[in-house]
Amino acid sequence: MQVEVRVFCGLECYIPGATFGQPIPVEITNGFTGRKLLETLNIPEEKAFSFLVNGRHKDLAVVLSDGDRVSIFPAVGGG
Amino acid sequence: MILKINPEGAELLPAGGVAGKGGYETVTMLKKQYGENVGVIFIGPAGEMLMTGAGIGNNDPEGNAGRYAGRGGLGAVMGSKGLKAIVLDSPKTFDVPVKDKSRFQEAARKFAKILLDHPVTGQGLPAYGTNVLMNIINEAGTLPIRNFKYGRWDKAGEVGGEVAAELCNARGGKATHACHPGCVMRCSNIYILPDGRSMGSLEYETAWGFGPNLEVSDPDQVAEMNYICNDLGLDTIEAGVTLGVLAEAGVIPFGDGKAAIAALEEVGKGSPLGRVIGAGATTAGKVYGVTRVPAVKGQGIPAYDPRSCRGNGVTYATSPMGADHTAGYAVTANILKVGGYVDPTKDEGQLDLSRNLQIATAAVDSTGLCLFVAFAVLDNPEGLPTIVEMLNAMYGIELTINDVVALGQSILKVEREFNEKAGFTKEHDRLPEFFYNEELEPHKTKFTFKEELDEVFNF
Ligand code: SF4
Repeated sequence: MQVEVRVFCGLECYIPGATFGQPIPVEITNGFTGRKLLETLNIPEEKAFSFLVNGRHKDLAVVLSDGDRVSIFPAVGGG
Repeated sequence: MILKINPEGAELLPAGGVAGKGGYETVTMLKKQYGENVGVIFIGPAGEMLMTGAGIGNNDPEGNAGRYAGRGGLGAVMGSKGLKAIVLDSPKTFDVPVKDKSRFQEAARKFAKILLDHPVTGQGLPAYGTNVLMNIINEAGTLPIRNFKYGRWDKAGEVGGEVAAELCNARGGKATHACHPGCVMRCSNIYILPDGRSMGSLEYETAWGFGPNLEVSDPDQVAEMNYICNDLGLDTIEAGVTLGVLAEAGVIPFGDGKAAIAALEEVGKGSPLGRVIGAGATTAGKVYGVTRVPAVKGQGIPAYDPRSCRGNGVTYATSPMGADHTAGYAVTANILKVGGYVDPTKDEGQLDLSRNLQIATAAVDSTGLCLFVAFAVLDNPEGLPTIVEMLNAMYGIELTINDVVALGQSILKVEREFNEKAGFTKEHDRLPEFFYNEELEPHKTKFTFKEELDEVFNF
């Protein structure tokens, strides 16, 4: 099973070789949570302000499924 | 005419050589004539031709003609008075009278700290500017693509804040820039075009309007359209929405930046097509028989699709200003998780969210503070009291927070009364039909609020 992760706005600095917005495939196992994904990618929890799964905000306890699109952002705003 | 204001008074002078000139040249010529340190408020040819999509421009500290009071057609109002520019000449620092200086300074210092401590106003906005939004709105599936046909596009990031910041830095522009001296949030930037022209700031709404909205993914083409609008004195949001409607009509193809640029250039020539573009999305829709026109009260809907960012949908529908994203910026709680969280794809909580934000915004706008302080103010309980403290120290009054809410409400009531007398009814407080009928991918949402919208102004 795999999820497709995108990181933005500086979070790419935690993942060697990563570029913002480029899909990063990550292997997951049964019961794999958002928190576990951050651990795997070495992204500090407090930096992952917005954690979206298939375009919806989720908290880090969310259990990920095969094919999920995960997007991770620090706190951002504009207008 | 030029209105020149200096410490001796105000004077109306003939416009002379700047009549009919573009924004960039107008600012350069007037600074040369009246001194490098003067401030220039101007209109471009769009305002002089009384186009309803014309805005009023201001120079930035570097003299770029890129900081706009863009929306609502104010440039045409200025043009109708025959006023090309206002030149402000203040040879020494102008100290605004403050009743209690030390009390004010203390409150202002505290307020600056509140702004710098918040991650959005202290880090995100300075680093990437407002265009930091492109990716999160796209990922959240509510970025209007191809004239509001889809909610997400795999190329949106190519015109997003991260790419733009890299280009600004690589070409000797600035990724972090204050639009006026003293701002601590510095969300502005200076974008340099490939041929070296300095455009000024590329903002999120503009990048969206000429980018994903038209399926254009080349940041330089987007910035070129921004440059043309700054020069013509045209509202970039309205221009982007209008080009989307023209693409819908088949006048220009989607995905063709060159064709979009050529169409915009018609505005400066005053050709029939140029005048249609300058008149905005609603007029363009009527001229070309398009019903998918994203506009409310004759003003184009900006960069958040109302179906999957419903709080903003409520604001677009009900704001007395027409489709104005800033009038009650529910993107905060809907997408950015600032000031709480309200699920953007559900109806619950959206009416209250929009109402409260519209009231607070009307009040904060009246203080003269940049609206972006709201990100910090919404999250910090000390925020609003500190603004009130600054006001009290400045004027020697004793306002409370409740007075500020009452102020916001009274402003909205006056605006609504004006609209009523101008012939607007509750039927105008609705979104265009296609938002109720067409499902938006990826969340398969439709907008549903109709009569409920009449409760927004229930105070
Ligand atoms: S005043 Fe507002 S718009 Fe101008 S740079 Fe500061 S945050 Fe940005």
